[in-house]
Amino acid sequence: MKLLIVEDEKILCDSIVSYLKQENYTCDSANGYASALEKTEQYDYDCILLDINLQDGNGMNLLRELKSNNKTDGVLIISARNSLEDKVAGLQLGADDYLPKPFHLSELGARVSAIIRRRNSAGNNIIRLAELSIDTQARSVEVAGRLLELTRKEYQLLLYFAYNKGRVVSKNAIAEHLWGDEMGDAANYDFIYTHIKNLRRKLIEAGCGDTIQSVYGMGYKFSIS
Amino acid sequence: MKLFTKYSRVNGTAAIVVLLLGGLCYYFIIRYVLIHQLDNTLKVEEAEILDHVHTQGTLPAPSHYRDQQVAFTPSEKWVARRFLDARLYSAEGGRRRPFRELVFPVEVGGRYYETSVAKSEEDTKELLGLIVLITLGVIGLLLLIVLLINRFLLRKIWRPFYHTLGALKQFNLSSKPLTTGGHTAIDEFRDLDEAAGQMTAKILKDYEILKDFADNASHEMQTPLAIINSKLDLLIQNRSLDERQTRMLQDMYDAVGRLRQLNQSLLLLTKIENNQFSQWDHLSLGTLLDRKLIQFDELVVSRGLRVIRETAEQTVTMNSYLADILLNNLLSNAIRHNREGGAIEIFLGGGRLVIANNGPAFPFDPSTVFDRFVKNSHSGGTGLGLAIARQICDNYGFRLSYRQEEDRHTVTIDFKPAV
Repeated sequence: MKLLIVEDEKILCDSIVSYLKQENYTCDSANGYASALEKTEQYDYDCILLDINLQDGNGMNLLRELKSNNKTDGVLIISARNSLEDKVAGLQLGADDYLPKPFHLSELGARVSAIIRRRNSAGNNIIRLAELSIDTQARSVEVAGRLLELTRKEYQLLLYFAYNKGRVVSKNAIAEHLWGDEMGDAANYDFIYTHIKNLRRKLIEAGCGDTIQSVYGMGYKFSIS
Repeated sequence: MKLFTKYSRVNGTAAIVVLLLGGLCYYFIIRYVLIHQLDNTLKVEEAEILDHVHTQGTLPAPSHYRDQQVAFTPSEKWVARRFLDARLYSAEGGRRRPFRELVFPVEVGGRYYETSVAKSEEDTKELLGLIVLITLGVIGLLLLIVLLINRFLLRKIWRPFYHTLGALKQFNLSSKPLTTGGHTAIDEFRDLDEAAGQMTAKILKDYEILKDFADNASHEMQTPLAIINSKLDLLIQNRSLDERQTRMLQDMYDAVGRLRQLNQSLLLLTKIENNQFSQWDHLSLGTLLDRKLIQFDELVVSRGLRVIRETAEQTVTMNSYLADILLNNLLSNAIRHNREGGAIEIFLGGGRLVIANNGPAFPFDPSTVFDRFVKNSHSGGTGLGLAIARQICDNYGFRLSYRQEEDRHTVTIDFKPAV
């Protein structure tokens, strides 16, 4: 899997690259509009992470460029301008998703994986991890062929873990993923704990083994082999 | 006191004083002139009598008319010649009437006579009265006219001033700068209009700059925040962290999270202020409220809160995103600032939404509850939730009010407030 990260803030770009590399993605980076254009013309990427505000041009134009060249690369817009208009405009121009800054790398990882899955596995919506299979279309989970009953939040949580398997995901990232901004800071970590406890119990009971480990009470790590 | 009233009062007093003094002077001058004229007539009579005495050597016959009397009285000595005002009986008898009298000495055949020529002052008095009356009438009329002209003309002249004043009173930061109307030919008012126009334009421009600054600052903060967040996300992947370090990392996460939230709230506030949510829909608030309560259900249950709701159909016309934020902020406040096991009462209908919750009294002045960054010091909130709610309500002309009674906090939105 090949990714292009278009981000003119080098330090942020480095973080993204080093996080996504753990998922065995091949990461290319471009620090501006011109170099991004050059790279997209030369190569095909599975997903392009596109910052809108570049020093030498607007990321939206790059998006237009890609579409007019009939490129099928997936595009995830990462923007410092968290505005509804930007989001709508970007999605209308053919971007797959929109993630406002600042974001958690685990969220970014999940979004990128989701985009790549949607693009590559046309018709195949199943994520298989050992005996666990998650049907992202039907929103159902099976363990060794047996349906696992999960609540909506537990399903979202499992999918998030699956996209970030083997890595520590912070509680803050989980809270933001599950509740977004809708509850503001009213969301507290006790809820996460409850949901994780239930999910973990259900997975163990279904015979998946103990897949979710707490990391110093600061985050969780999902590992399955 | 209005300028006009003050002006009229001073003007009127001055006019009356001048009028009285003037009338008095006028009376005396006219009177002096008329008496002088009468005296001249008496002098002519005197000359005639002296002439008669000189040529004939005898006294002329005394006369006693209604308006003129001539009398001779023998006298011991040469009397002094003098004018005097006297009251004499006239020919018609009756009471005494005012006469102007000239007394002078004559000598006829070695005998002295005191001669008195008197002319009735009655006609003079009448004439004087008439003249004074007419004059006073004319002056009074003039004063009245001047006052009336002042009243109506001044009111008309001052109209542009009141127009400008009214516009200034209604001016707020979301309105346009005052237009220099040019509907007055008076330089002072034109200057005032111009100054007001320039001042408001400058205020708006400064405010715009300030808002842009807040907007830009918030945007510029996003990238550093993203960097910190991403570095933290990478740091926690490290297997060799000990518990103390992870606790510090957790604090940093929380702090960054708060900063992010603060930043987003500020951006949202600026956007609402700038009216950047121009789309609107007819929304059913009841449905929206249901959806929100489901969203918050987990939180409500975890705090053991009772939700008491009484909702009728209520539609509002507003941006759906802002409606969502409005309900979100009010409900999350009602939950967060509630006491364990408290109640949330929601009443919707009749153009009003009322949300009440239990909770300890605020340590701050309740009237500032909608101001920015007013919050309980131990609250993890941004202190912007209600400020955002108020800004949304302001944009749509809703009235947002707050009431505190002991441990009960009530927030009310009037969707169609009586102006």
